[in-house]
Amino acid sequence: MTGATVASGPEPIEAPLESAAESPRRRFWRRMFRNPLAVFSMLWFVTLVVSWLAPDVLATHDPFKQDVTLQRLFETPSADHWLGTDQFGRDLYSRVIYGAGFAFRSIFIAMSIAVGVGVPIGLFSGWKGGRVDRAIMWVNDVLFSLPIVLLAMAVIIVLTPSLTNAMIGVGIAMSTRFIRLTRAVTLAEKEELYVDAARITGISTPRILTRYIVPNLLPALVIQAAIISGAIILIGATLSFLGIGANLDDPDWGVMLNRAQSVFRQEGVWQIVPAGMALVLTVLSFNLLGDAIRDALGRDAGNNALTVTKRVEVAPAQTEHAADAVLSIRDMDVEFPGQGGKISEILNGVSLDVRAGETLGVVGESGSGKSMTMLSALGLTPAPGRMTRGSVQFDGRDVTNLSEAEWAKIRGKDIGIIFQEPIAVLNPAIKVGSQIAEPLRIHMGMSKADARKRAAELLAEVRVPDPERRLDQYPHEFSGGMAQRVGIAMALACEPKLLIADEPSTALDVTVQGQILDLISEVQERHQMAVILITHDLGVIAEAADRVLVMYGGQVMETASAHDVFLSPKHPYSRALLETMPQSHDGQGELPVIAGMVPSATAWPTGCRFAPRCGFATDACTSSMPPLERVADPAQGDLVQADLIRCVRHSELGLVGGTA
Amino acid sequence: MSDTSSSRPFFSVNDLHVHFAARSRLFRETPPPVKAVNGLSLSIEPGRTFGLVGESGSGKSTVARAILQLVDIKAGTITLDGEDVTNVPSGKELAFRSRVQAVLQDPFSSLNQVHQTRTIVGDAITRHFGVKAGADRDNRVSALLDEVGMSPEFLDHYPYEMSGGQRQRISIARALAVEPDLIIADEATSALDVSIQSQVINVLKRVQAETGVAYLFIAHDLEVVKHMSDDVGVMYLGYLVEKGDAERIYDGPAHPYTEMLIASIPMPNPVVQAERRALRQTFGTQPGGGIAEPPSPSNLPKGCPFENRCPVAMDICREEMPEPTPGHHGGEVRCHLHTSGPELGGESVVHFIESQKLSSPAGSGSAV
Ligand SMILES: Nc1ncnc2c1ncn2[C@@H]1O[C@H](COP(=O)(O)OP(=O)(O)OP(=O)(O)O)[C@@H](O)[C@H]1O
Ligand code: SF4
Ligand code: SF4
Ligand SMILES: [Mg+2]
Repeated sequence: MTGATVASGPEPIEAPLESAAESPRRRFWRRMFRNPLAVFSMLWFVTLVVSWLAPDVLATHDPFKQDVTLQRLFETPSADHWLGTDQFGRDLYSRVIYGAGFAFRSIFIAMSIAVGVGVPIGLFSGWKGGRVDRAIMWVNDVLFSLPIVLLAMAVIIVLTPSLTNAMIGVGIAMSTRFIRLTRAVTLAEKEELYVDAARITGISTPRILTRYIVPNLLPALVIQAAIISGAIILIGATLSFLGIGANLDDPDWGVMLNRAQSVFRQEGVWQIVPAGMALVLTVLSFNLLGDAIRDALGRDAGNNALTVTKRVEVAPAQTEHAADAVLSIRDMDVEFPGQGGKISEILNGVSLDVRAGETLGVVGESGSGKSMTMLSALGLTPAPGRMTRGSVQFDGRDVTNLSEAEWAKIRGKDIGIIFQEPIAVLNPAIKVGSQIAEPLRIHMGMSKADARKRAAELLAEVRVPDPERRLDQYPHEFSGGMAQRVGIAMALACEPKLLIADEPSTALDVTVQGQILDLISEVQERHQMAVILITHDLGVIAEAADRVLVMYGGQVMETASAHDVFLSPKHPYSRALLETMPQSHDGQGELPVIAGMVPSATAWPTGCRFAPRCGFATDACTSSMPPLERVADPAQGDLVQADLIRCVRHSELGLVGGTA
Repeated sequence: MSDTSSSRPFFSVNDLHVHFAARSRLFRETPPPVKAVNGLSLSIEPGRTFGLVGESGSGKSTVARAILQLVDIKAGTITLDGEDVTNVPSGKELAFRSRVQAVLQDPFSSLNQVHQTRTIVGDAITRHFGVKAGADRDNRVSALLDEVGMSPEFLDHYPYEMSGGQRQRISIARALAVEPDLIIADEATSALDVSIQSQVINVLKRVQAETGVAYLFIAHDLEVVKHMSDDVGVMYLGYLVEKGDAERIYDGPAHPYTEMLIASIPMPNPVVQAERRALRQTFGTQPGGGIAEPPSPSNLPKGCPFENRCPVAMDICREEMPEPTPGHHGGEVRCHLHTSGPELGGESVVHFIESQKLSSPAGSGSAV
């Protein structure tokens, strides 16, 4: 899912920040080339590879050719010797280039062993689990804690000192990293449904490991390998520097540093620079590469869920606000920049009103804009989206262009919010009592003792048994239903004028759902709050809402009293939704369906957004966007009560509900 | 359904128990195991659907996973077409997999993101019919896609390029690829949008009509289960507390918990729902207004596990676990009301509960 979620609370907002159709591979490379550090490290990597495979393309001299005249030793850079010469008059630049070959040979040997040993053991351990896994991991942890150089030395002592043998030791030492990583990924992937699905299909275990687990392991492996490669080069150089790696004549960076170090008092610091720089840049670029790959693979790279877009001038709404509404939204548009400058319009012309003591049910399928409407109204449009038109009024005050600081005084105090996953909103490390008390102390300026007393009262109000004891418990000690009661208590803490409940019962069992809905209506009655209840469940709306707003494709399709929406829906979409529910269908035959699927926000159909799925669509529907029209007689009711509908054919169709 | 009929059922689960051992810790007492499934029996005939409902954590998925050989079974037997498939040896696994398939809950994670449709569905064909990747296999995949109402252009789509409903249909196509006798659908439509859910339900029903496949249909949405199923079983904390003919259970539940579940379904009609709300609230709270939580599955009471939430619990309920007795819907029910106290003899509990509530308006739950 590409959407951003705010505070991991409400339903994922289906904002196609990056079109869902873009393949992960393309997205990966696009992100890589957009990151300057990634570009630098990739360029450096390419240079290294060329130096390794075809050093003569870059080298200017023979790296072993000594200056027999002994005239040109320890030179600093010149037109002939770009990086100067060493103690035998050999060209330092060419030696550095050739050194890349040694670096890669080290990486190759150590990495083949590390991956070749580590990945199979990790896969085995993670897949087996249980005792076998614990035994393997115990041994691995012991080896892991030993210094790598020590292990390399041990191998050299047993075998003979050479760079190859040293790298075998390094490879074995590094395999512990790969065992850890592979095992962790395998353990996690093993629990994934698609692995179950593969087993159910009858796919054999080795095949599941190689075809299902390994591809999902690959990204993590590549990142780890890049970072470890840097370490391997450094260790190789260290061993060579200590004289137990490459031969003393080899153009190896470690050897070169060793030599430079021994003469550096007499001949100055320059001798250290070429090999030193090569080493530092290479290690650095491997690390940068690892980080860059991680970022580019990340699902939400460059999209911090909590950053709120900087406010820009919002075009004013066309119509007036209802005077007596607690929250009133008019003509709200919200846009997200998409790919290649395309704009996706997540919300279009959304208007709503909710009054004290009234429950407005907002219903719509996923991606219809329910949650985004609420977030944007509260100044929480997730970046990089922004509100481009409309106006919002809360408690008689224009809050369209409020600053974040001003919003912070309202949200959590005058507006309480209940989320779908109550547990996710609670901090697992902090006692529930302190979490309820926090808003009381911030917004109401209560003392610690008072806040605690009030927190206990609130828990009692939401009917949590034994509130005093519960205050000192941690969130994981609460069941889903109890945690949601805590969520409601927190939302009620400062006696808000408006309560927004975003799918408050969706994650709960049907028996608990009823209790939560009862609780919300109970506290609403007591405090005369306005409530906005967002849900995709028409049954929940029918139970709790006074008025209903039906959303589709980022637009309001119909607003009317709950009675009218359910018993005589005027909009073809409202009607179709009701008909597809199994509840509305007693026969055994096929259920009525809404053909097709919800369109994507980057490609709304022209004209009515429901037209491609609407059984009543005509040419008039697709030629231009139907306006949101007022249906009720304005003389009869006030603005709030006016029913709205967005369908060119509504009066002509005169749709009547099933239970007329 | 305690085997009075002489004919052997096509597929049956008999007295299934699944426990999850808690991890042992050094120097600490090993916690008791989680008793996820406790003595569950059910049977399904070809072309029919058994629906399994219950709250989250009641053990529905564990039943599915036990049948699919994904968890260890503590006790009980599973038979398919007369053959014991409780613990299928690896040599016979492929044959078993070709008869029992599954559609799992989450359309986002039950498909491997790195494979295209042609591989996801095709792998199953290769595995079971030895058809190698290529035009032939693609043709078979296309035919399966057609069966679930998708065009061949989806052959080279990756899961992330498809909507939830499309992915779920790919899962169904993958299950159908091996031409199974039984498909276990665990919350197969739960993650879908209302307008898409009905499409997938229709696909499942159409496939059943065409191929005669049997379904074990697991869901927490009672209305969807009712629409799909011929028989229904209700689980509570690992116990099958009631099972029988779907229509008749919904019309006259014989177990207070089933009645509570049915009363809790919100109907999309404000007038109807206002009445149902009153009925539901009969169950909502305990005597004194508190809220009772179900006991932990690792520490079940010795009596009826529903006792602390039951509005008509009796003394015996705290002492003894009720045994299954025949219900009016042709199935069974596990509740003392049928043999003790009012001795309802397997009939619906709806009237009894209402009369109890009327006679004790204060909300006191004691029936006897
Ligand atoms: N692998 C496991 N290890 C330990 N306990 C488990 C394991 N799997 C399930 N359980 C426990 O077994 C019980 C039954 O779980 P199960 O997943 O079968 O319930 P469910 O009815 O499918 O719930 P849901 O509706 O949430 O899917 C629960 O208490 C659960 O925590
Ligand atoms: S405007 Fe046309 S297409 Fe849209 S809902 Fe009305 S009848 Fe259907
Ligand atoms: S009456 Fe007794 S046995 Fe029956 S459900 Fe209630 S508590 Fe359980
Ligand atoms: Mg489950």
